[in-house]
Parts: sequence; C-alpha cells; structure tokens
Amino acid sequence: MIDRKNAPSIQGIASINFEKPLVFDITKGNHLFCMTNVQNETAKFELYFDAGSIYGGTETASVVNALLLSGTKDKTSIQINTEIDELGGFLEQGVSMENAVFTVYALRENILPIARIVRDAIENCVFDTRELEQSINSRKQKLRVNMEKVSVLAQRSFRQRFFNSSEKYSRVTNPEDLDFITQEELMQFHQQHYLKGLKKMVLVGNFSQSEIDSFMDVFGAWASEETPTFETGFENIKGYAHLEKKDALQTAIRIGRHLFNKTHEDYSDFLVLNTIIGDYFGSRLMRNIREDKGYTYGIGSMVSEMEHSGYFMIGTEVGKEVKDQALAEIKYELDKLKTKLVPQDELDLVKNYMLGQLLKSADGPYSMMDLFLSVEQHGLNMDFYNQVIHSINAVTPERIKELANKYLNWDDFTIVTAG
Amino acid sequence: MIHYEKFTLENGLTVLFHKDTTTPMAVVNTLYDVGARDEDESKTGFAHLFEHLMFGGSVNIPEFDTPLQNAGGENNAFTSNDITNYYDVVPAQNLETALWLESDRMLSLAFTPKSLEVQRNVVIEEFKQRYLNQPYGDVWLQLRPLAYHVHPYKWATIGKEIRHIEEATMEDVKTFFKKYYTPSNAILCIAGDFELEEVKKQVEKWYGDIPSGHKYARMLKKEPDQAEFREKIIEREVPVDAFYYAFKMPERKNPDYYVADVLSDALGRDKSSRLYKRLKKELELVSEVSAYITGSLDEGLLIISGRLSNGVSFEQLDEELWKILNDLQRHKIGEDELKRLMIKIRTAKEFQEQGLLNRAMNLCLFELLGDANGINEEALIYEKITSGDLLRISRQILRKTNCSLLKVQAVKK
Repeated sequence: MIDRKNAPSIQGIASINFEKPLVFDITKGNHLFCMTNVQNETAKFELYFDAGSIYGGTETASVVNALLLSGTKDKTSIQINTEIDELGGFLEQGVSMENAVFTVYALRENILPIARIVRDAIENCVFDTRELEQSINSRKQKLRVNMEKVSVLAQRSFRQRFFNSSEKYSRVTNPEDLDFITQEELMQFHQQHYLKGLKKMVLVGNFSQSEIDSFMDVFGAWASEETPTFETGFENIKGYAHLEKKDALQTAIRIGRHLFNKTHEDYSDFLVLNTIIGDYFGSRLMRNIREDKGYTYGIGSMVSEMEHSGYFMIGTEVGKEVKDQALAEIKYELDKLKTKLVPQDELDLVKNYMLGQLLKSADGPYSMMDLFLSVEQHGLNMDFYNQVIHSINAVTPERIKELANKYLNWDDFTIVTAG
Repeated sequence: MIHYEKFTLENGLTVLFHKDTTTPMAVVNTLYDVGARDEDESKTGFAHLFEHLMFGGSVNIPEFDTPLQNAGGENNAFTSNDITNYYDVVPAQNLETALWLESDRMLSLAFTPKSLEVQRNVVIEEFKQRYLNQPYGDVWLQLRPLAYHVHPYKWATIGKEIRHIEEATMEDVKTFFKKYYTPSNAILCIAGDFELEEVKKQVEKWYGDIPSGHKYARMLKKEPDQAEFREKIIEREVPVDAFYYAFKMPERKNPDYYVADVLSDALGRDKSSRLYKRLKKELELVSEVSAYITGSLDEGLLIISGRLSNGVSFEQLDEELWKILNDLQRHKIGEDELKRLMIKIRTAKEFQEQGLLNRAMNLCLFELLGDANGINEEALIYEKITSGDLLRISRQILRKTNCSLLKVQAVKK
C-alpha cells in the first residue's frame, strides 16, 4: 500500500536561470530589447510611448491611442485593419496613467510588413472627424455601462481619494467630458507624445540582426528626446467613504495606501507580506473571508508599481449585507499580522509558493521579457531577481511583523466601498 | 506538431504524456467527462458547485491547495456545460505532489459539512457577482432557454436559479461523485520534461489502485429541430439597448462545426469583418458588434451580439443585419477574404500552442472527442474549408427559423 496520508518529499528551487534580452540603442537613453529563442514561429513587437493619461486633457490620451489606426489621407481605418488582418496580425493597445503601449502579435514572417503598415498609419493619422465622433459615441456608451458596475464605481472613487494631492493622477472621466474633445488637441497630443514619444521597442521572436535593424529603421525616428517627469510623494485622503448604489446585490471594496516600487529596500520583503495577506489562494484574506465565511467569490491584495512610486491595495466584492463584517475581518487580519508572528510553516509555504511562481514567470521568452521590462523600468537588471530569491529565503517572522507595523496601519488607508 | 504518448490503466484511466524539454514546469491536467448538461433539471448548477467542493479536502488529505502551494505550484479549475477541467502547474521536480493530490481526490473526497456550507455561499456570491450584479449579466440565463427547449444546454453552468444551489445536500454531493468522478470517466495529461517510463511508473503508483467505478452511458434528450423564429424582449435598467441573435450550429464532432466557426469569423471576429464594417463603420447602427460560437460539444450556437447606437431602433438593425446574412447565402465569399480568415486562425493557433497548459488541456479535450491526435489534424481541417462550404453552411444556419433573438431593452430607473 502506498502512503497517501503524507505528502511526497518536495525539492526546493535552488536557482533560476534568468536571461537578458539583446539591447540596442535607438537613441541615447531609448532602447530596443529583443528576446530570441522562441520555440515556434510566433513573434511580437511592442512600442512604449510617453503618452499616459496624466498628459493632456481628461481622456485625450485614451482617445488618441484608440484612434491611432483610424485612417490617413490615403487609407481608411477599414483598409488599414484589413491589411493587418490579411497578415494575421493581432493588436493590443493600452493606456495607463504613465505610459501607452501598442502591441502586435503575428507569425514572424508577417510581422515586419505589419510594422510598416502600423508605422504609416500612425505617422500619417489625420484624426478624421467621423472616426472621432464614432469613437466618442462608443466610449460614452461603454463608460455608461461600466458605471453600472460597483467594482468600477469603487475603483473611480478610490482613485480620486487615493491620488488626491495630484490633479492629473486623480482625475476620472465622466461621459460629458467627452463632448469637449477637439480634433486639434488630439493632433497636438499625437505629434508630441507619439511621433516624438517612443520610449522603447520590444521584440520577441527568432529575429535576425537585419530584421532587428529594420525595426529600428521603421520606428526609430519617433524616439523621444525628453526625459519624462513623473510625480511622486502622493497624498491620499485617509479614512472611509461609501458610495451608495441602489439595488446593488454586492458591495465592492477597495483599500489602499501609498508605498514604493522595486527600488526601495523593503520591496522584496514586503512582497512576502503581501502574498501572506492576499496574493495566493491560501492567503489570510481568502481563508477568512471566502473559505471560512463565504462572504465573497474572491478577495486579493497587490503591490502596484508606478514609475517613481507604488502602492498596496486590497480589493473584493462581497454580499451587500456583509459589507461591515467583511471590513472588520480585513482589519482584523491586518492587525493580527502586526501583533502575532507568522507561524514558520505558513511562512515556509509562502516562500516555496513564491519561488515556484517566480520559476513559472521565467518560463519561456515571452514571460522572461516581461520580467526584464519590470526591472528595466526602474533602472535595475536581472540580478534583481536573484536578490529577490535571496530575500525570500532569508525573511523571518520577526521581519514580517516589523513590516506589518510599518505599513499596515488602518488609519493610513484610503477605504472605499460602493454598492 | 504536438507529440504525445498515450496509455490506459487497468481501471480505465486514460493517460496522455506530452514531453517538453524546454520548460522547468510540469502540468497535470485532469478532465472529467461531466458538465452542466449532465445535471437534473431540478438540481442545476451542481457540476460547478461540485468543482468548488473538490478543493475542500479529500479522503486522506485535509486540504488540496496547501501542499500544492508548498511545492511551489498553483492550480485552478473550470466547469462548462460539457466538461469539468482541473489543472496544476508545479515546478517539474515536484510533479509527484500534484499526482498525490489529484489521485487522492479521484479516490474519494472528505465530504465535510463545513465545506459544503461555505462553498454554497461562495458560489451564490459568484452567481451574484457575475450574473446578477452586472449590466447584461443575466443575458445567458435568458438566452439559453429561448434557444433550447429540451436539451440541458437550456440552463447555464452556474445554474438556473440560486435556489438550486441553496438546496444542494450532502447526499447529492456523494451521489454525484460516485457517478462521475471515476477513472473511467477521466482523462489525465501530464506535460513537462520527463521520460515516458518515469511518468508511467508515477501514474501507476498513484492512480493504479483507484477502483474503476461504472462507466455511465450519457443519454441526453436531443433538441428537436427548430422550425420557427423565436424572439424575447427583456427590460433592464441598463444604459444601452443590446441584441443577441443565436443560431443553432453543428455539434463539435461534425466537420461542419469548423465551417461555422470560420463563418462566425467572417461575420464578426475583427475590424475587417462584415458586421463591423457595415453595421458599425458605414451605417453607424451599433456601437459594438461581434460574432462567435459557443464551442459546445453537442449542437451549439453561433451568436451575433452587440449594442445599438443611440437613437437606433431594433428594427433598423434587424433589417440591415439580415441583408448581410442573406448576402452570405447568395454569394460565395471571395478568395482574399477566405485567405484572410485562415491566416488569423493559423496565427491564433500558433500562439495558443505556445503555452504548456494550453497544450495539455487541448490534448485532453481532443481525446474526449475521440482522439488526442485531433489537436494536430485541426489545422488541416480548417485549411480545406472552401468558399463553397461556407455558402452551404450559411444557407443551413443563417435562417430566420433557425434563430432565437433576445433583445435587452434599456429602461430608465
């Protein structure tokens, strides 16, 4: 008979093989990164622009991003999209507060021709008024739909209170704001933040040197010459606010405080604390609020990084009738970490879990590139992850308690509920 | 080409092994041949509730997640109307932890009352979060019974109503486990950098002594052919009118399933698709529109859905939409268009197969369909599709009497 009661022995992860991409200068300060060693014929390229939503008027950045392929004087948006589809390209566009990203996935043999179509479309975009109107109308509709979701309402209110000290970081869009967007302001934004705003280029695929050079030729002229200035030292409105939504069945909760990013000495150890709190299925919050009380389908915490700062946030949606109990339990779990040492077996489990997940996030060239970009953004290199492994292995229950006391004081948090 | 080896244990468990020497991770994927379609109509939502209970401890192991996390792994599961699928991703050196855990919950569950009580609540919150507390969230709860009158696809995976979940008893749980969670009703796939002999030995060790159980014969009621256009209007406090046209389409094993898939791409996959171009860009009747298939194993649905632009009526949309659908039944689509659809399918497949977990899941699914090697034959099936096939299937599917239309009318609060 086999022993089913006891777990088979496990082997820890001694080291992970982190690989760096090839690095080329677009201009001094702006780089192209390329990861090869892809096992099949897939490829992607990605353009990072200094075109985040903190620039321009409310929503200018998002509208410009959405209209990048909306047509030139020679081609309509349909023609451009058809040409890209004929080459099997899949596009992804996104704007965050501090960046805008344009991504293309395709088979390697098709990706350079797509890049040329994209370049021509972006470079010569005319911001056609009909396209603009269509885009504004569908954005308004989408926004109205989203504002019916308690999660979105909570997130918007959280953002306003959390970045309270900064007008640019705290603003949210209302449907009526979209009536005031002008073609002229879009064109100006496009000129400044795209045609002179390329911060980096990312390639994944088995590219030859000459293909890499071609990408450089296609997009190099857009390289930004300016060093962006991002804000730091945000101040939040502390304490609790509730947004009532009639007839809601659930209440969304967002709880957060300002923190730091990878450049801070407490970062790696705090990641361990964050995992214990709410970043895996067996976390304190999941165990208590989902698996013990059944208040929610899911609850989690995260450390979110920005260019010069970062923050810690807890988010969930709970039954409307148990909102107060859920808040009390969240506070209880944070307070417990401040007063009681984490049991060694729980800490060991979290360490093993985190190392396993790090191994997974270093599996394959696409994941490896993401790991790299996440350190490169802060001026660090892949050695950072070896230090993370070291920190994870070394962290003690006492150190976790110390961090909890430093960073988990309920009075420091912005707390928002909507529902 | 995805390579794999297949072997079967004496208790009937089918095992697939996919070797990948480039990854430090291992995947253990377990597909159970049971979904919401196997439920009793008075106890819907049960297959999915049961999936939650599979994490509440097994006969010899009090908790599923903890030991797996301790081994550096993570796991999750999903339930559809057709299947229930569980997966674990662990560092390759700890494969055995996953096999120990998965085999023990195939052997038997702990069946603790606390687990049932809590997971009932969790699933009820999931019901609220995803289906009731979202704008348009209950659309599928409405559309399914409109399109299906007999076949169990008429209820959603989450269940017909919350009451069914509230009323689930321990007796139900045990019966369900005994009937469906047996080696002969499961397909296991192990993927990673291993040798076949090693995998065989481990699988035999952990799964070999699980009693095979009885293979049940699935006898679902067949949906009668639809012979009339069906329409339902619901009023909801949402900001925008929305529409869902559902057309019956062939089952998964029918070669025409793939033709219907391509047809849905032609209609509404991309910004170069027919519906997007005509309805959104040229006529500005909709703010968004798309077409897709449900991917069901039995007779499924091809869906055209979207939202109306402000001031546009359902009738205006309906008229223009049918012009597009009728055109597809009169004229063959051009070679350029077909080529464009094919390159997107080929590209998407190449990306999908980039992931180890995707490969393992798909191998299990194709094995369920009859042959794991289907994963390697699919590309050729798509390539062989002609514009003549698309014409034929358009005529077969895109008929008014094969259509169920759900309209969501926005009303003010």
